[in-house]
Amino acid sequence: MPLLSVQSLKTEFHGRRGIARAVDDVSFDIEPGEIFGIVGESGCGKSATCRSILKLFGGADARIAGGSITLDGVGDLVALPEKRMGDVRGSKVSFIFQDPLTALNPTMRVGRQIAEIVMRHSKASRKEAGQRALELLRDVKVTSPERRLMAYPHELSGGLRQRVVIAMALALQPPLIIADEPTTALDVTVQDQILRLLLERRDRTGTAIILVTHDLGVVAEVCDRVAVMYGGQIVETGSTDQVLQGAAHPYTRALLAALPSAAMRGRSLTPIEGIPPSLIAPPPGCRFAPRCAHAHDACRAARPALAPREGSTPGHLDACILERGT
Amino acid sequence: MSILEARSVSRSFVSRRGLLDLVMRRPPLALKAVRGVDLSVQRGETLGIVGESGCGKSTLARLMVGLYPCTEGDVALKGASMQGPDPEGRIQMVFQDPYSSLNPRMTIGALLSEAITRYRPKTTRADCAREVAAGLQKVGLPADVAEKYPYALSGGQRQRASIARALCPRPEILVADEPVSALDASVQANIINLFEQLKKNDGITIVFISHDMQVIAHLCDRVAVMYLGEVVELQETASLFEAPLHPYTKGLIAAVPRIDRTQRERMPMDGEMPDPFNLPDGCRFAGRCPLAEEKCNQPQVLRAVRGGMVRCWKAPIE
Repeated sequence: MPLLSVQSLKTEFHGRRGIARAVDDVSFDIEPGEIFGIVGESGCGKSATCRSILKLFGGADARIAGGSITLDGVGDLVALPEKRMGDVRGSKVSFIFQDPLTALNPTMRVGRQIAEIVMRHSKASRKEAGQRALELLRDVKVTSPERRLMAYPHELSGGLRQRVVIAMALALQPPLIIADEPTTALDVTVQDQILRLLLERRDRTGTAIILVTHDLGVVAEVCDRVAVMYGGQIVETGSTDQVLQGAAHPYTRALLAALPSAAMRGRSLTPIEGIPPSLIAPPPGCRFAPRCAHAHDACRAARPALAPREGSTPGHLDACILERGT
Repeated sequence: MSILEARSVSRSFVSRRGLLDLVMRRPPLALKAVRGVDLSVQRGETLGIVGESGCGKSTLARLMVGLYPCTEGDVALKGASMQGPDPEGRIQMVFQDPYSSLNPRMTIGALLSEAITRYRPKTTRADCAREVAAGLQKVGLPADVAEKYPYALSGGQRQRASIARALCPRPEILVADEPVSALDASVQANIINLFEQLKKNDGITIVFISHDMQVIAHLCDRVAVMYLGEVVELQETASLFEAPLHPYTKGLIAAVPRIDRTQRERMPMDGEMPDPFNLPDGCRFAGRCPLAEEKCNQPQVLRAVRGGMVRCWKAPIE
């Protein structure tokens, strides 16, 4: 049984210009201990999908319009009343945001912020919670943790702040962590440290991680399986190797062809022409069709289902009716 | 011959002092964002400047354009020392964020015209309009963009418009500070191709500042790696990526996540940059360097090794 099962999830954002269907019929399963990547460009719905799981929409006027999100041992989170969501957040599923500075309270020492989470969800005394905070900082390899406990967020570097946020996410040892672009704001050497930390954590404790990123390199480094999103839908999913080495969907292939690298030096890259689809009035049929070099009438007529191809390896699905390689 | 040259350039920023600091008679804190950089840009090349946040790469870019005065040293354009931005507009800059670098209350056409008449005030209206149209075409924007305001354009289009504006004064050199960092991968490829064309077809010299090793590897002929205000390595791109001379460069390359995981040599770099207000006398990277020894506590000089320049006495590292 999967740890988390998302089925036909639909999430809408209500704005002045209409209803944006940021997540439109998205399904995936997360097994215990796996790192699942959700990758795509701005506005593809990857963050909205993750926020839907914990119903963390900030101030946005958003609602889950359909589907189910089943968490092992808890049930359907969509139907769960807000009061009980509070118990799920942090203890069953925790969330790591892109920008640690907005995730931390600027007026509170980081030690107290971590201790507060421990105290809220257990009967630990203030002293015990403080001790636990120290252990947690040590776990995420913060140097001189005793001194850092007393620091305010602004006194820490970006990398240290993100470590503190990760320590908070780990505080209650949840079986699932959702990390939304956790390293995007960080330098590449610090990103490397943070990714290694997440990997080690999974290996040691079997915590499953959903990693949202725009960087296919990050996916290749740490994810077991991946889903590629475009226009609010999953267009391809499978193991990291299946998707990155044997990309089947034209969008995935185009994304890979657009990446600069030393091997491509002096040669021109193949950009994806056009702009991403509107989520308020998406094109009928395949949402990538208007930008796809291979699209024909059938592509524009009906939405292609996410399904295995003939001859594809198990678990590798994509939503394209064209023959592979065209 | 070098077209643009930084000659022992340094730039300090002095932090503002609060009332308490004044009362306590604390001296102002000076931060040397760029220290003793010598860098010469050859005509027609694309020189990359790469480094992590706070390494001084953006400050160096602004010094090279003349937007900041140098605290020490100077920048020479074709051998002549520059005092502020070039009055003939031979050096132009492209900024990271096209949202804040284009005036939201001017149409793209007006923004481009302004950049033309600023340097060639005698240009007639008709000529100006013609040049605007040609400029838009050059960067791959449709002609009707001239009538639009920046908000009506997508991120990629906006960056193209800001490149078109930078080209209006007919510069010989473009200094681009993280021009693709704010863009999605599919759009980024367009802009990278555009820079490649400007170099190949128009012979424009490009100084390309980025934190992204892949973009640098793709676009540049030579690369300068900066760490805490200093150039620690300078090499031709191919050899820099195949055989980095400085341990920092090696770590930086190893830290880049790659699609083909097989070719990766790990070099874990722990710790983070030291406090820039309180830097060691010796090698600034020594605190994070897995190869550091006692001798690293002495000041390091940039010296020639294997056709490149490196600021590490141990180089070439194996």
